[in-house]
Amino acid sequence: MKPKAMFVALAGIFAASAWAVETEDRYPRTPIVPEQGVWGDQGFSNTIQYWGSKEALNKNASLQDDPDNVWKLNHKHKDGDRVDMHPGHIGVEEGREMVDSWSSKKPEFLKCLSEGKGSLQGLAANYPKYDEKLDRIMTVEARIEHCSQTHLPKQIKQGSPANTTSALYVKSLSAGKPIQVDLSSAPVEQAYQRGEKLFYKRIGQLNFACASCHTPGSVMGHKLRGEVPTTPFGDVAHYPTYRTPVGELEPLHLRFVRCHKQMRAKPLPPGDPAYTDLEVFLSVLSNDYPISVPSLR
Amino acid sequence: MSIRRVVSFLLPVCVMLTVSAQVTAEQKEKVAKPSEFPCLSYTAPCGKIGVRPVVKKMPQDLSLGDPERGKQIAFKRKKGNCLACHRMNGGSQSGTRGPDLSRYGSSGRTAAEIYAMVYDNRWQFPDTVMPPFGTNEVLTDREIRDVAAFLRASR
Ligand code: HEC
Ligand code: HEC
Repeated sequence: MKPKAMFVALAGIFAASAWAVETEDRYPRTPIVPEQGVWGDQGFSNTIQYWGSKEALNKNASLQDDPDNVWKLNHKHKDGDRVDMHPGHIGVEEGREMVDSWSSKKPEFLKCLSEGKGSLQGLAANYPKYDEKLDRIMTVEARIEHCSQTHLPKQIKQGSPANTTSALYVKSLSAGKPIQVDLSSAPVEQAYQRGEKLFYKRIGQLNFACASCHTPGSVMGHKLRGEVPTTPFGDVAHYPTYRTPVGELEPLHLRFVRCHKQMRAKPLPPGDPAYTDLEVFLSVLSNDYPISVPSLR
Repeated sequence: MSIRRVVSFLLPVCVMLTVSAQVTAEQKEKVAKPSEFPCLSYTAPCGKIGVRPVVKKMPQDLSLGDPERGKQIAFKRKKGNCLACHRMNGGSQSGTRGPDLSRYGSSGRTAAEIYAMVYDNRWQFPDTVMPPFGTNEVLTDREIRDVAAFLRASR
């Protein structure tokens, strides 16, 4: 190589390396103390001061008419007992009929669903939880799928209307009970850690992470055309929810799918292990917050 | 070999090369699917795909695009959807996360600089929330030129 050519080549390499920027595959993390449960939002968005209790919601009811600040209510003003009769209640009734008829035909189904206790009262507040026999983290929806597969003629798949409707009924039997996901269980704690990582992972054609829209300093609290993304704290408490714009019940994993589509990322099937880990992460961020189904969004 | 013969041989080759480059750019635009980018799955192939490396592309020989077309591209949800985060000249229902670009023509930015930021702004801000429109093939080279022309003309 001629000296001049060599110089040009070397200069090129230097110039290129001076420009080289490290490619981030994660959005910057906002620290969360999982043991604080839903109150961890105080060190996060601190919007919990507006929506964390009935008193706070009543005191800040005027935010509902303030388009720039209504996001601070985290949509909690739309929850269950604050709106009297709505189609979500009809969903609970339909779910009750389904579970009752399956249970009367196959008592083993109810036994499986209630983890041998025979009653579903209050159970959902401790979900997701680790099932030792199955060596798997179970959500309410996964439990329904599993018990139907083992005891009913037909599997009731996660994401199907029947699964969502019966999950809504099961959760409604814990309405008002504070969510208590057991972080002292090692598999749950590990799922929380994996879920947190997924929350910050950049994915899809638009290179967003969940955190790009749902953490302080991100798009959270800003208008994204019509919508404003809110804090992830307290979110799981009202799922499955009745979606007024489309007139359907929606389980949490299908809400993930909708956010994935906005990100132009490949959506995963409801019940996917990655979605289960995300659900564990988000459920810990709802610990101590009462289950609020049926709800409207 | 006379100069004329060389030119008459090279000219069609050059034309063919430019045309084929354009065709591949347009084909590329069609085939970029969500599954070609990272996803959250532990098992599907997209779960193993990495984020595309940062590209700083600032073409100095930039031939400006068409501002009217650029406006359409910037506003369309399935194209740039810049309104999700920016105010822009003539746009409504705009987002509030990014800086107001409705008078960006007076910012003093050259078309090449705008091109580079829309292509992939991670070279300035590695943690940006703004999508790398060029690197991730959301917009083609020509579409980014059009958007840059639109921003230059916004006053
Ligand atoms: C481009 C921005 C964006 C990204 C990225 C995004 N979301 Fe969302 N998300 C929204 C918006 C907007 C809403 C509706 C407003 C709200 O409730 O926050 C929403 C709502 C939600 C809700 C429902 C909240 C409720 O109160 O019912 C959940 C849960 C959620 N997102 C989880 C996720 C997860 C998990 C990810 C990552 C896989 C994600 N989001 C990525 C914008 C986004
Ligand atoms: C998800 C939000 C988002 C979207 C969508 C978005 N931007 Fe941005 N943009 C930003 C943010 C935030 C900044 C501030 C710098 C940074 O963080 O990258 C920015 C900065 C810019 C700048 C530099 C402004 C300056 O400081 O001189 C330009 C130009 C720009 N954006 C153009 C566009 C165009 C054109 C589109 C659509 C093709 C677009 N943006 C889409 C969020 C966004």
